[in-house]
Amino acid sequence: MTDNTAGAMTRNQPIAMPAPLQSLAQRLFSGRNVLVVSLVAILSFLAVYPLAMLLYGSLHSTPPGMAGEFNLNGYKSILNWSNTLVLLNTVAISLGKTIPSLTLAVLLAWIIARTDTPWRDKLEVLITLPFFIPPILTAMAWGMLGNPQVGLLNQVWKWATGATVSPINVYSYGGIIWHMMQYSTPFLFLFIVDIFRAMDPALEESSRMCGASRWRTFRLITLMLMLPALTNSFILSLIRGIESFESPLFFGTPAKIEVITTEIYNSINHRATPDYQYATALSFAIMVMMFLLVIWQWWLLKGRTFTTVTGKGYAPNIMKLGRWKWVTFSFCILFFVITVVLPVGQLLIGSFFKFFGFYSYDMLTTEHYVAVFNNAEVWRAIGNTMLLGLLGATAVMILGSIVAYVSVRTKWRGRRLIDGLAWLPWMMPGMVLGIGFLWAFAMLPGPIPIYGTIWALMLAYIALGTPISVRVMNSAYAQLSYDLEECSRVHGATFMQTMWRILIALAWPSFAVGWVLAFFGIMRELSASILLYSVGSEVLSVVLLRLWANGLAEQVSVIGLMMMLLVILFRWVQLKLIKSRISTL
Amino acid sequence: MSAIVLENISKFFGAAAAVDNVNLQVETGEFVTLLGPSGCGKTTTLRMVAGLEQNSTGRISIGGEVVSDAAQGFFIPPERRHLGMVFQSYAIWPHMTVFDNVAYPLRIRRKSAQEIKERVATALKLVEMERFADRPAPALSGGQQQRVAIARALVFEPRVLLLDEPLSNLDARLRTQTGDEFRQLQKRLGITSLYVTHDQGEAMALSDRVVVMSMGKILQVGAPEDIYQRPHSRDVAAFFGSPNFIEAEVKACRSDTGGTFVLELDGGWKGPCHSSHEIKPGNKAAVMVRPENMRLVSGGQGPSATGMAWKGIVKESIYRGAHRSVMLDTPAGNLNIDLTALENPAVGANVDVFAAENSAWAVPV
Ligand SMILES: Nc1ncnc2c1ncn2[C@@H]1O[C@H](COP(=O)(O)OP(=O)(O)O)[C@@H](O)[C@H]1O
Ligand SMILES: [Mg+2]
Repeated sequence: MTDNTAGAMTRNQPIAMPAPLQSLAQRLFSGRNVLVVSLVAILSFLAVYPLAMLLYGSLHSTPPGMAGEFNLNGYKSILNWSNTLVLLNTVAISLGKTIPSLTLAVLLAWIIARTDTPWRDKLEVLITLPFFIPPILTAMAWGMLGNPQVGLLNQVWKWATGATVSPINVYSYGGIIWHMMQYSTPFLFLFIVDIFRAMDPALEESSRMCGASRWRTFRLITLMLMLPALTNSFILSLIRGIESFESPLFFGTPAKIEVITTEIYNSINHRATPDYQYATALSFAIMVMMFLLVIWQWWLLKGRTFTTVTGKGYAPNIMKLGRWKWVTFSFCILFFVITVVLPVGQLLIGSFFKFFGFYSYDMLTTEHYVAVFNNAEVWRAIGNTMLLGLLGATAVMILGSIVAYVSVRTKWRGRRLIDGLAWLPWMMPGMVLGIGFLWAFAMLPGPIPIYGTIWALMLAYIALGTPISVRVMNSAYAQLSYDLEECSRVHGATFMQTMWRILIALAWPSFAVGWVLAFFGIMRELSASILLYSVGSEVLSVVLLRLWANGLAEQVSVIGLMMMLLVILFRWVQLKLIKSRISTL
Repeated sequence: MSAIVLENISKFFGAAAAVDNVNLQVETGEFVTLLGPSGCGKTTTLRMVAGLEQNSTGRISIGGEVVSDAAQGFFIPPERRHLGMVFQSYAIWPHMTVFDNVAYPLRIRRKSAQEIKERVATALKLVEMERFADRPAPALSGGQQQRVAIARALVFEPRVLLLDEPLSNLDARLRTQTGDEFRQLQKRLGITSLYVTHDQGEAMALSDRVVVMSMGKILQVGAPEDIYQRPHSRDVAAFFGSPNFIEAEVKACRSDTGGTFVLELDGGWKGPCHSSHEIKPGNKAAVMVRPENMRLVSGGQGPSATGMAWKGIVKESIYRGAHRSVMLDTPAGNLNIDLTALENPAVGANVDVFAAENSAWAVPV
């Protein structure tokens, strides 16, 4: 009897090891722990490491990779009057765009979700389209449209009214805010429209039964119920505004209006000797500010999120507008025309005339198309962007799927840490992350030659994209019942098999939608790319900026149109997928 | 004066009629229930009374005053109809306390702070929620939210109270209790109530009159006993439980007192049976007998009372705790009967089954 047991034990334990030690080893090297530890390591490298290097660099007297000493000169140099002005500018511009964008977004969301405006579903697609266009394209287009000397809008105005003074100058505070609004309005709209839609109609109807008119109900019930979500959107949009780079770069810098991101950029790119310590200290300071904003947001929302969502698939209250529905319809169309048709039309016109601003019949040409197609640098940038987009989006989505799975579908220890780490880049401006990575690559032990290759860009894109991919996959998993998964495991599939078979198979539409989002994100990224690229690893946005700086607005238009085609194609695919199964973004 | 009058009310969603030519009068102080399967148009009817939907045809009057007349294009919006309403999801506003929720209708009407305080306190006392006045609304259970919803609907002394399946989100035990309490409250206040439910038991227990609806139409209106025991059609009969229908041929038909008719029937047995319809001799009729109104009589002993009797074989016997369901094979077809839980005829046994004359009711086939 004893012999038998001993024999069985030896068979189970080929390596003679005391039982407690063995179970410890088993626990340490189990697949689960290996997965958790690698996730923590990867995410830390992508977010914590550059952040730490930011702090290190801000205290270090020389550029990345050079011997130097530690001092507080960086922080001393950022504390001056002109930076206070820059900070005030940044916050004021961001507030200045957030408030009208939010108002506009609520109005548009209400029109789409709560009125009988004709073709609402199609209008929704049109209204959200500007969000997917790379900001650098519209910035350039608006630079041409609203140029105080030769801008198309000014020319048309002067021709129509006989005036001699240009009414529009995009190189101004107004221009920056105008351009930012074109992105934040559809972004906020996407958040708000679903809240309008999902709200239990009885919450409003009961107010009317209590004697409140439609308008009073809207103020006292609808808006108040949405207040937490609106606060959240407000702060999110404020953060986005502070991070924004393209708008102030294009419309602020020429008018000597600087914000934090352009100040960081200029201190590295537009000074005789790049001042890395200054830029890094400024970046770290902005991170602290973001952090405080996030804490403020968290404090405002504490315990104030209501569930107003109806369980039933009830249609929300639709208001019959009568003849007014054509007014709301025209309003949505007008928004689309201003944010999409005008800039894209400008690119189209610009690409066919010899010089932008001189629009006459004899100036028509296709030479810019020829020039672009013969430009090797452009082709290399397209290649790089495509490669980075395809690989980067795939990597971001795989990482996001695993992180989301671990944080919402398991009870593993460390899942909260993983979730938190993946969320961290959410509040890092691309510019700041770029600087962090500059230091991070330079400080890598031994000769790991990442800096100067496209892999440097790739890592930054993955870091920037992960928070969004995690969100998309979170909501995808939340819609899948646990039974499916447990059923598969009960029937003998291992963890990885389950994950692959069931979850990927069922969650793939979300995966694809997230993939397209990530691809868009990479294609439009400018602020980190501009810091991390080097000769040979340029991406499209960087090349566009360079062509623009050299005054080749016409070639920029050609490339811009090609990118627009890609945007429309991908957005179309994405909408097909969303229609067929899910409802995220 | 009737509290609510619906005249030829219809509601079309696109081409489909959700409510089809409904006529109904609800008297002051009456408790009337709209009953029918899901999707039959009960909620739509209630919402048209509330003013949350506009009727496509017909006229609605409340308290003698026309509130909607489709032919005239006349429509008073819900906030000016002065009706209380309790929603299926309760619709308690989560950003307010219980007190604020109940005070809302009074604040809208610009009552003084003192009056608001007193009337909210009274309303909360009615539903025994006075202790919870300062609670934030999300911190309430389903049953408590339901009480707050009733308090909110009553606090401004509306002309009529409308309720859309107010109990359906509560668990079974709480449902009965809350229903009974609500009925007592309604009687005490004497408030006219129009109530929607798909639960027959609830409709029976609460209502003065029940309106049975199907596919947008009213099938029958009557007191719970009428609806249950004296249905006008097979559909109404079949809506409550699973009655037995026994086909028989009409041999004679004469009117009875109270607008009903007495039929002489032949369906393998012969006897009289009451019906709400005049069915000409030679036609078929279906005799409805509810399972709980049939009983077994021990071997050979003929029953003393008049009624119907069959011989049968026990095919199935299911113990249900409160009673026993037995299925018999008889010359009149399969019959379901409910016995007391203590009776236990063996499967395969020959039995005699008997139904008293007053438990049978004939409907047209
Ligand atoms: N807003 C609406 N749009 C289109 N059809 C509706 C709408 N509301 C209800 N219906 C339809 O009208 C019919 C009756 O619905 P309802 O009154 O809610 O039924 P009940 O409350 O009896 O379950 C159903 O077929 C439903 O699908
Ligand atoms: Mg209903």
